[in-house]
Amino acid sequence: MSELTSSSSGGPATTGFSFENTIRNKHMLSMDGSGALPSPKKTGTTIVGMVYKDGVVLGADTRATSGSEVAEKNCEKIHYLAPNMYCCGAGTAADTEMITQLISSQLELLRMNTHSQSRVITACTLLKRRLFQHQGQISAALVLGGCDINGPCIFQIAPHGSTAKLDYTTMGSGSLAAMSVFESTWREDMNEADAVKMVQRAVAAGVFNDLGSGSNIDICVIRKDSSVDYRRNDVKPNEIKPLRDLINHSALLTMKPGVTPTIGETITIPHPTSNNGMMVGPSDYDTSAMEVEA
Amino acid sequence: MASSGSGYDLSSSTFSPDGRIFQVEYATKAVENAGPVLGIKCSNGVVLGCAKPINHKMVVATTGSYKRIHTCDTHIGCASTGFLPDARVLVQRLVEESADWQEQYGSKIPPGVLGERLGTYAHYFTLHGALRPFGAAAVIAGYDPDTKECSLQLLEPNGAPYMYYGVATGKGKQAAKTELEKLNLHKAPILAEDAVKQILRILYLLHAEQKDAKPIEIELSWICEASGWTHQGVPKDLLKTSQEWAKEQLEQEEEEGNGRRLN
Amino acid sequence: MALPFKGGVVVCADSRTSTGSYVANRVSDKLVQLSDNIYACRSGSAADTQALTDYVHYYLNSWSLDTGRQPTVKTAAHLMRRLIYNNKDQLQAGVIIAGWDAVHGGSVYTITLGGSCLELPFATGGSGSIFVAGLLDAEFRQEMTQEEARTLAKKACAHAMTRDGSSGGVIRTVAISSEGVDRDYTPGNELPFGPSAPF
Repeated sequence: MSELTSSSSGGPATTGFSFENTIRNKHMLSMDGSGALPSPKKTGTTIVGMVYKDGVVLGADTRATSGSEVAEKNCEKIHYLAPNMYCCGAGTAADTEMITQLISSQLELLRMNTHSQSRVITACTLLKRRLFQHQGQISAALVLGGCDINGPCIFQIAPHGSTAKLDYTTMGSGSLAAMSVFESTWREDMNEADAVKMVQRAVAAGVFNDLGSGSNIDICVIRKDSSVDYRRNDVKPNEIKPLRDLINHSALLTMKPGVTPTIGETITIPHPTSNNGMMVGPSDYDTSAMEVEA
Repeated sequence: MASSGSGYDLSSSTFSPDGRIFQVEYATKAVENAGPVLGIKCSNGVVLGCAKPINHKMVVATTGSYKRIHTCDTHIGCASTGFLPDARVLVQRLVEESADWQEQYGSKIPPGVLGERLGTYAHYFTLHGALRPFGAAAVIAGYDPDTKECSLQLLEPNGAPYMYYGVATGKGKQAAKTELEKLNLHKAPILAEDAVKQILRILYLLHAEQKDAKPIEIELSWICEASGWTHQGVPKDLLKTSQEWAKEQLEQEEEEGNGRRLN
Repeated sequence: MALPFKGGVVVCADSRTSTGSYVANRVSDKLVQLSDNIYACRSGSAADTQALTDYVHYYLNSWSLDTGRQPTVKTAAHLMRRLIYNNKDQLQAGVIIAGWDAVHGGSVYTITLGGSCLELPFATGGSGSIFVAGLLDAEFRQEMTQEEARTLAKKACAHAMTRDGSSGGVIRTVAISSEGVDRDYTPGNELPFGPSAPF
């Protein structure tokens, strides 16, 4: 029974996540001026996953936010777990990154021990155990997808450690927008091109309708033969360069480099040791030798 | 013993060159020198019996101070022989294991499982140099309320628990086994009431055959419908009539036997 | 909910899992097989009840390995009760354990949030249970046939799904008897009661 609770009580854990400041932080939040507290980078996110005839497709946006500010415009939310398995993460960026790295490492060791391909249910169990053990303190909502001997499958994993095996699922703040696409258009046994297109549309629904999601769309296709097609920035609906190019600047404001003539340049090197380290004035120096023509 | 003194008998963590563990065999010797214990699995229950030699006139044999049959759970009884303090440790373990099971699973431990667990425990003491094997044997009688079946097991110092139809251990076990085999228990099980009589007869027989025997005290217990499928002492009146029957029977046999011997 | 019938038990549940006001999963399976002939109906925190049923499944497995027998429903309920009672400060779980075993036949146990274990003639649990209590009080009979029990369970479940906002989706039932288990699924637009989806 102690396994249920081992990490949530007692002294600080020797490995893994530490929660020794949890109570203190709660107390600090209840005090005045708690607004000044640093907050972790949370990814308001749209992540999706679906099963099609020959595999699974995962999709994610690439925006990372810190409060109302966009902290990163092109981050990666589809994490590697195993050659035949990837995992989209929503929640605290650091938590999703760390937990997928940790489970990925455990899976690799398991593969070395058993000389067999990792199974998606194994990854799902490892993830849910870890998340349940930390009682929701690891803020990671995951969409796990992959193909193994049992065929393609998608798992939804919530931060508290509950899981569900589904044909299609969405997570993150944009999940409602993305789900509306799936609920209206998902069919069984779709082909790859249609599946990818649908995932793109689902993530795009999040990108355009959810403030926490944005920027580009990453896609990852994992087929039954375990071949993987990881398409980083598959769709870039928010490319701003073409928009910028559209703007006609006045010729007066768009100056090319070298337009302003340089008359001369003087470089002054202070003497490092004289005058007890005080700066040496330019008058102490003969600078004429260093004059450079532009 | 053949190889005693050769150094291979100093620890149970050492095998002798011919593949024996002498410490365990010595422990078995301790059992063979102590009072006999019998058990019979019947068609309607299971019966345990033992004869305790009264080594001192003044010892109070009938109380817990010199108890050889213990109740380990309502449905489990254990008759022990050998080095008595060792036997009590085994009994204590049985009590704990069955209580743990009940706490964990909310049901009575199946007697077979209990025997196996005690076997695992006793066997551990035959593996390590720093430990001494138990100089005691335990005969476990049990009733499984789930399957409504009785069972009889013998655990010896080597840690192997075996199921039996009828079993004897302790002093005179060979003679007792011969007597049990005559009862044909494995083919035609007898009634618990008859098993009480037979156990008494065999115990008296062993006592009679023994030279310079100390007086004995008998303990008898059973699990059957009459005891509500719990482990209980055999009722006094049944014990008395059975004792009379057993003594009569032995006298008869002796007369017949003497006659045969003269021929 | 769990309803016994002559020679077995029917367990039944809706399929809605929600986070706040959002339906996180509309086709979830709240009926979990603990052993060949024992099922659990989960309600409360999904994470907690999944972890609990995983543990009980594991313990029953080792019980079977130890004894060489199929576990009893009573044992399963006892294990679940112990886990919930011993960790009740950290759990949010109401579980019904039901099934068939050779010792007691069909039986139904409910384990409350606080960790007490009660054997009942029939059991309901979860947020929708108050909506079906009266209906079952009126219509439940001992010694029904499997089909009668299943039909009643579905009807009660459908009533709860129409009145309770936290219940909905499809109806899943499992009939457990000495013969084995029989799973059944009723889509959301074929419910025995309530408005059906127009498409």
